[in-house]
Amino acid sequence: MNSWRVFSGLVGLGLRLYLRIPAAMFWIMGFPAVMLLGMGTVFGGKADTEVKLVWAQPVPGIAVDEALRKSLEEAGLTIEVVPTNEAEDRWRRGKLPAMLEGTDGKVRLRMNSYLLIQGKQIESMAQQGFLAAQAQARGVESPARIPVALESPSGHPLGSYAAFLLPGLLGLNLLMMGVFSTGIVDVTMREKGGYKRLATTPVPRHVYLAAQVCSRMIILLVSGALLMAVGVLAFGVRNQGSYAALVAVLVLGSACFLSMGYFLGSLARTVETYGGIANLVFLPLMLLSGVYFTLDSAPRWLQRGAELLPLAPLLRILRGIINDGASLGAMGTELAIVGGWTLALFVLASRRFRWI
Amino acid sequence: MQNLAVEARGLQKRFRDVEAVRGLDLEVVRGEVFGLLGPNGAGKTTTLEMLEGLQPPDAGEIRILGRDWRTQGTEIRGRIGVQFQSTQLDDKVKVREALEMFASFYPRSRTPSDLLRLVQLEDKAEAFQSRLSGGQRQRLALALALVNDPELVFLDEPTTGLDPQARQGLWDIVRRLQSEGRTVLLTTHYMEEAEVLCDRVGIMDHGRILELGSPRDLVAGLQQPSHAEIEFLGEPPDPAPLAALLGRSVDVKSPCWVIPLSDPRHDLQQLLNGIERLDVPMRQLHVRRASLEDVFLQRTGRSLRD
Repeated sequence: MNSWRVFSGLVGLGLRLYLRIPAAMFWIMGFPAVMLLGMGTVFGGKADTEVKLVWAQPVPGIAVDEALRKSLEEAGLTIEVVPTNEAEDRWRRGKLPAMLEGTDGKVRLRMNSYLLIQGKQIESMAQQGFLAAQAQARGVESPARIPVALESPSGHPLGSYAAFLLPGLLGLNLLMMGVFSTGIVDVTMREKGGYKRLATTPVPRHVYLAAQVCSRMIILLVSGALLMAVGVLAFGVRNQGSYAALVAVLVLGSACFLSMGYFLGSLARTVETYGGIANLVFLPLMLLSGVYFTLDSAPRWLQRGAELLPLAPLLRILRGIINDGASLGAMGTELAIVGGWTLALFVLASRRFRWI
Repeated sequence: MQNLAVEARGLQKRFRDVEAVRGLDLEVVRGEVFGLLGPNGAGKTTTLEMLEGLQPPDAGEIRILGRDWRTQGTEIRGRIGVQFQSTQLDDKVKVREALEMFASFYPRSRTPSDLLRLVQLEDKAEAFQSRLSGGQRQRLALALALVNDPELVFLDEPTTGLDPQARQGLWDIVRRLQSEGRTVLLTTHYMEEAEVLCDRVGIMDHGRILELGSPRDLVAGLQQPSHAEIEFLGEPPDPAPLAALLGRSVDVKSPCWVIPLSDPRHDLQQLLNGIERLDVPMRQLHVRRASLEDVFLQRTGRSLRD
């Protein structure tokens, strides 16, 4: 038996089978692109996105305090004056992060406790405008503000939200492929006797498994390329670093999470129990690793802990390459953590793997 | 020694608190169709899996085609073919692709079209595995077992769940395998199948082989190798008078009386005389040869299907 021929045949068959399953294709190929387009548009916007504040008109027909309005607008807010009943209605439906009430020096800012992050920004701008208005009323010159410069951490000019999100989705894709696609197939093959049948043939298990891993890596690289293309076309997000380094990191990450899939698969006897295990691993990893947003407001121990799990450092490396053009040498710690997990999961998965 | 396809001595296998196989000896001669027979849970599948190299026995020795699993596993795998009760391949794999994949595992293999013709699935070559009927899947599994032109074929309950026509078709294939000089080791719980197909059978219960021999010899060795059935219209009457007259037991299996015959020449004469004397209102009389079912019943006191 020619191992190479068996291997390439299995890789080819694996790819063909994958193409025939629309659901799998959607989750790996379509979903990341859709997320990037959707969330990149909603949260991305332009760097100078307008910040809107609704001002409930105190009495119908009576204008709001024009001087305060001017100061608020100078502070950077876009003021929308709305009749009180309509403003109340929007407030109650939870749509407003903050709402300004009253007039003539007796104004009050109501802040939505559910939307504090947006509300805080509005509050600080409103306070500034309010202070400026008071100073003006007393005939004092408006105090100067701290100059603000808007930049991405990487310093390159297109640091939009889409640029932050894209590497996150690349990493998430590896996690989903490993924990869901790979793990479920592994458990099913064992549960339904597919592996057992293979075990009666002379095919070496390492050849069979290497082919499975290889066809999945190819799919991941193709889906990554697709996502990069969407990033360029829709948001102008370009890879600032080396493509060779990017591919190398994606291969390392695939090895890590595919091993994780096989390891988790070895813990479950049925697909039903596997679902629970998979979610137990997938959800915390996705939520704690900063796929969609940074976890800056989370408790420090939680952030530190997440940095030791495989996904967060992988995302740091991906963001480093794509957004900052960093070299791999500059991210030794992150690479060591991801590499350590890959090695550990690979050894565990290999030791625990059973045909039956 | 050389002409043994399967040689097993003192096989034992235990799963936690279940002793699945307890001291099993088995020899299957090359070119023979051998059947392992027994109720569910008798240990047939575990025995087969040990012989197929899937489970190491806790104790005992196995030689397959004169080779040892522990040192010559790859060589054995190249020479055997295995069909399981149910093998779930990938749903989206096509019949031809499955055959090609398995063929690639062996240095020498039969072509897909050749195998498809053998199991009569030529028109399903491009069908997805998930679109096959139960019988078609079984035939695909058989084709996969024959990909490497094996010397020894293991078939685990090959006809379970098949309709009578499909079963006939499978029997034809098994006979053909034998005529090509292959050895077949199959398990079944259909007595009829074992009697029709197998040169020898081993009747298993509770992890042991109780009886071993050709179906004809096993049946002939029974205390009552045949029995008479007296059929009535509706419920049979109380058989006590006839039993007293004959001096032997008469079972009632509605709508029949069943009378075991140890010596048909003499017993049948006596029976007919008794019927005439008592003026039994019978409808029909059948004389039946006992089956492997009766062999199992006599050895265990239980019916196979319980």
